[in-house]
Amino acid sequence: MLKKILFRNSTNFQFIFATLGALVGLTALCLSFQLTLDVQSFHSGEEDLFGPNSVVIQKKVTKLSSLGMNNTDFTDEEIEGLRQKEFITDVAPFESADFRVALSEVKGDGLPPFYADMFFQSIPDRFLDLDVNWEWNEDSEFVPIVLPRDFIMIINYGIAQSQGFNQISEELLMAARLTIHIKGESKNDKKIGRVVGFSQKISSILVPKSFLDSANEEFGSGNRIQPNRIFITTVDDSYGELEELMDEMNLDIAKSAIDVAKIKTIIGVIIGIFGIAAILIMLLSLMGFVQYSQLVLSKASYEIQTLLRLGYPIKSIVKTFIKQMTVIFGLITAASITIMLVIKLFVVNTWLDKNGIHLEESSIVPTIILALFCFGVFILSNLLNIRKTVRNLGKIQ
Amino acid sequence: MTITFNNLLPFPLEEYPHGNESVWKNNFELHLPKKIVLNASSGKGKSTFVNMIYGLRKDYSGELLIDGKNIADFTLDDWIELRKEKMSIVFQDLQLFPELTVFENLQLKNELKQHKTDEEMFEMLELLGIGDKKNQLCKNLSLGQQQRVAIIRALLQPFELLLMDEPFSHLDEQNASIALNLISKETDANQGGFILTTLGSYHGFQYEQELNL
Repeated sequence: MLKKILFRNSTNFQFIFATLGALVGLTALCLSFQLTLDVQSFHSGEEDLFGPNSVVIQKKVTKLSSLGMNNTDFTDEEIEGLRQKEFITDVAPFESADFRVALSEVKGDGLPPFYADMFFQSIPDRFLDLDVNWEWNEDSEFVPIVLPRDFIMIINYGIAQSQGFNQISEELLMAARLTIHIKGESKNDKKIGRVVGFSQKISSILVPKSFLDSANEEFGSGNRIQPNRIFITTVDDSYGELEELMDEMNLDIAKSAIDVAKIKTIIGVIIGIFGIAAILIMLLSLMGFVQYSQLVLSKASYEIQTLLRLGYPIKSIVKTFIKQMTVIFGLITAASITIMLVIKLFVVNTWLDKNGIHLEESSIVPTIILALFCFGVFILSNLLNIRKTVRNLGKIQ
Repeated sequence: MTITFNNLLPFPLEEYPHGNESVWKNNFELHLPKKIVLNASSGKGKSTFVNMIYGLRKDYSGELLIDGKNIADFTLDDWIELRKEKMSIVFQDLQLFPELTVFENLQLKNELKQHKTDEEMFEMLELLGIGDKKNQLCKNLSLGQQQRVAIIRALLQPFELLLMDEPFSHLDEQNASIALNLISKETDANQGGFILTTLGSYHGFQYEQELNL
């Protein structure tokens, strides 16, 4: 009955305006928050192997380098300089083999006969996050190898056709053993190797550092080789600094590697702006609701004052209002979460799928918590406003 | 309940002379339960007197104490508690909820303390001759009928003091007398008292004390 007399004079215009505002604002806020979470979790398979912010840098090969007048090696000072950069968190020069390497098939393992000169390089194990055994020691059955993904493309779509042998699947290449021919300074040897993974980011043939160190010692000339490629890990969103560094040191960086970081940052900024707009809409609708309840309260001022005169506690009058607000906000919150999910699943995800972008689904629990937090803020601010207004009405009676 | 008046005088009545018999600008106490009538002509401050005791007017000099406590120190919550537990009122302007039916108006008040059953409330309506108006909106009743609803509403709580500001102004003598008997009976049942203001008619009732303005 309290509800009947207190809400008797409430107008619909303000209510619809405030409800729509809150609905749009909360939906936009939830959506931008959820998409931010999704984008945070965005990564290609490659980044799984080498971490999201790792790139390989090397100096550009120029005409002068071809003439032997310009060295592409990194000096110790340059490496130390990289370590000093604030946006770089880890620096690891590639180690190269100090001996010649060739690979051939192991008969009976399914690969066509081949023999190819190769090279080996290694990076510290901490950069690798392969789900395979990357450990190597003297007793290991084989030497694990990571090949560039482009390598198998060249074989399958170039060499295989021109040489007239069958194409090789990644699975076959990973299942088959390879013979590693080592031609050292003073002696030669053969070892068994096996491809354990492919990399998009590193155009090099990688073996475990432990193997390279041991092989360099056994077969190498003993001369120290300056690295010409360096693996670095940067902090988030530092592609700007990275590009600056590229210009400064005349570096070459696999563009695709930084594109992901770039896109993530740009999307992050766009979603951020969208999120700020959503917060503004939310604040406006919050004000709308506070004004709406103010209006309802002032239109019901006679009823509120009379109730207080009849001995109705302030608490029960406030409770009647808040109950109603809770139902309204509850519905708005539930509707916002539903609309957000519908937009995410049927609009955003469909669009992403169409464009070949796969975002890993992140949990919606944080978004629901955010929506509930907004719900709490709405209720609390209205509660404080209503209580104050009812008290004031009681005092001026 | 004891109500103490210490030189009480509403600001609007400051310029008028007040005699020794007047409640204004004198020191005296009212000890309840007692049935009291306040008889005065129009404009002397009857409603002001009632509203001051009920905590609705604060524009006065002097002191008004209820059970030894200065009402100037009461908070809004104190007043609400007092109105719920110890003090009831029939406003001169009735202050009913016009959009609610007669019975809803009564239920709204009765919900606070569950003082009467629905049957008892209906019996009161019948007694005052408006049983058939039970489900009519208050705004559609005549003033006399509305006055009877307001009287019944005031009886739907326990009270030590019932304030009534010209409660029979729109009732004929016969209906006023029936209503006054009901009020008296309920006052006794609550072991409380009342203060009734009137423009001159005593409605054939024997009051225990009479106040003047």
